[in-house]
Amino acid sequence: MESDSGKLKMKKEDMVKLISAEGFEFVIDKKAAMVSQTIRNMLTSPGSFAETEHGEVTFPEISTTILEKICQYFYWSLQYASFYIEVILVHIYIGHCSAHSGKETEFHIEPELTLELMMAANYLHT
Amino acid sequence: MAIDSSSTCNRIQTQSQLIQMCILAASKSQDAIEAWRRQRRSMERMPVHLAEALLHHLLHRRLLSPSLLEVFKNSIEDFDLKGESCVDAEWMAYLGAFHFLHSLNLADCYKVNSAALWPVTGMSSLKELDLSRCSKVTDAGVRHLLSIPSLEKLCISETGVTANGVILLSSLTNLSTLDLGGLPVTDLALSSLQGLKDLQHLDLWGTKISNEGAALFKAFPRLSFLNVAWTSVTKLPDVSSLKCLNMSNCTIDSLFQGEGDKVPLETLTLSGATVSDVSLALSNVQIGCVFFLDISYSSIDSFYFLSHMGAITHLDLGSSSITDDLVEYIVSIGANLRYLSLSNTRVSSTGLGILAGHVPNLETIVLSFCSIDDTAISYLGMMPSLKVVHLSSTKVKGLIYQEIGNSTWFPSLSSLENLSYLEILELEGTHIRDAALSPLSSFRRLSFLSLGSSYLTDASLPLLTHVQKLVHLGIHNAVLTNAGLDCFSPPPALKLLDLMGCWLLTEDGIRSFHKKHPNLEVRHDLVNLMPSNKDRSVSLSPSKTTSKISLLKQQRNMPISPPRVNNSPFVDQRQKYTREELLAMQFSSTSFSSQ
Repeated sequence: MESDSGKLKMKKEDMVKLISAEGFEFVIDKKAAMVSQTIRNMLTSPGSFAETEHGEVTFPEISTTILEKICQYFYWSLQYASFYIEVILVHIYIGHCSAHSGKETEFHIEPELTLELMMAANYLHT
Repeated sequence: MAIDSSSTCNRIQTQSQLIQMCILAASKSQDAIEAWRRQRRSMERMPVHLAEALLHHLLHRRLLSPSLLEVFKNSIEDFDLKGESCVDAEWMAYLGAFHFLHSLNLADCYKVNSAALWPVTGMSSLKELDLSRCSKVTDAGVRHLLSIPSLEKLCISETGVTANGVILLSSLTNLSTLDLGGLPVTDLALSSLQGLKDLQHLDLWGTKISNEGAALFKAFPRLSFLNVAWTSVTKLPDVSSLKCLNMSNCTIDSLFQGEGDKVPLETLTLSGATVSDVSLALSNVQIGCVFFLDISYSSIDSFYFLSHMGAITHLDLGSSSITDDLVEYIVSIGANLRYLSLSNTRVSSTGLGILAGHVPNLETIVLSFCSIDDTAISYLGMMPSLKVVHLSSTKVKGLIYQEIGNSTWFPSLSSLENLSYLEILELEGTHIRDAALSPLSSFRRLSFLSLGSSYLTDASLPLLTHVQKLVHLGIHNAVLTNAGLDCFSPPPALKLLDLMGCWLLTEDGIRSFHKKHPNLEVRHDLVNLMPSNKDRSVSLSPSKTTSKISLLKQQRNMPISPPRVNNSPFVDQRQKYTREELLAMQFSSTSFSSQ
């Protein structure tokens, strides 16, 4: 993800570092991380959490693979979520799914990640 | 099943978006399941609500097998298998290993028999068990249940259990809810249950108990719900804890006779009951507390007691002997009314005129099979909170004669334009004409419309195109032609078009319409076409559809007149067409439906 957000102009305070159980660090946009209600609370709560000061959050329960997927989801969510929900609603509404419009915006989840990702999503309120 | 799947959908919808997507991905196919099963042998550490949402979605997708159940054995507390015909002894063997199971619903699982219940013995965490309508469960099955003293709720209505089996239940002393409906429970069997001091909810409809058994209800100090419908009970003792009483189809002499205070009942169902003197029968009921009253089909002919029921919100007077003169009693309690059924009564438009303006909160009115005409519709326009209006099998034509201006026939439905909450309108079996439908396009929330009239023609269709929120449209027994249907552009939100009994339409005509509008479900006597790609949308989307449709179904199945009875006078189709036209039609329509 670091290369993804490699726009050098980005200011440090706009970024946040998420650290996985194995110690891998993901530096992502604060805005993207805020998709998670849990991270939002950590970063914005008035108390002087270490997280607030350094813009660093450690997740000893979340493995690197899952945290990477979570970060991808954050960005996907910012860009497509509202649209995707609309697509889902339209599908429900008209009762069919046109594979065509779905493909570009679909967030693919590998089946072997589903359970771990689900638990992480539950923890992160996202 | 509809209710079942909607509850599954609710389970998913309450989850956050990513969780929803994970559940959908995890239950996409058998291969997906294999993929995550290789990673995890059990659901340990998985929060209960996530495991339950996944399990129920797998069930909904028909991907659950007995061996897959094993994965969930330590993480499920609440398992709803109602109506799942696949559940058999093998499933039960795996379910017996669910150590934390709190509630198990096996209602309508017809393969479950007494022997299949053996694995549940000793499930010490189980508190609720529903075996309703599992007809193969007998007294032997009840013996297996006796090893679960923690049971608080047990439903065994319409099973094969006999009075002897009921007597065995006396050892389940923690029971607070017991449903014995439709079982041959005798007075003797009931007397053996007197030790169940925690009993709050007791269902005894259709049992063999008599007044002698009814006298024992006093033995249950916490009893708040009692159903003795379809029994020979005529007298109830003074059970002061009672809140809900159902004595439908009973002959009632007296309720709660004794020295105690009046019983503050909240709901009272006396549908189809024979009551000789209603004021005497209710003299020991504190009727000011009642908010739900159903006296449909009852023999009650005096309605004075209604004026003391100020708290009432739901009132069903369907098929009762209420008349226009007696409507004033409803007026006196109209302030809180939300639901009112006057179906199949002698109440006419005059009676509705008396009611109008006195029911500010009324949301549902059922007037099916009443002899009301279009004047009544203008009175309905004065009931500002109406959401649901049933006018099936009435004399409504939709046109009213007015001598103001130059138009003499005026669409009466325009009086309903001001009802900003109106969602459901039923006009089946009426004489409604095409011109009457013109005001519908300004109904802002109308989502369910059901029309049935042999006077409706192709000309009605363009008038329905602009009903913005319409989801379900039914046009029954109308003279629609293939050509008319071909030109119809459905309203934007429409999902279901029901054309039952439109006898001129042919299968080809309907198929070519469906080809043009593949996203609609189209129903007809000849053919039932589902939205194309339906299987995919059901599998991929966290179907709000199902819940919404089932909601509509529920609203539609409200206790009203039989839904599709059409007793409108038959119009001989030959009178409407010349011989030449009929001959031409003979070749365009392959079959005549006799609806």
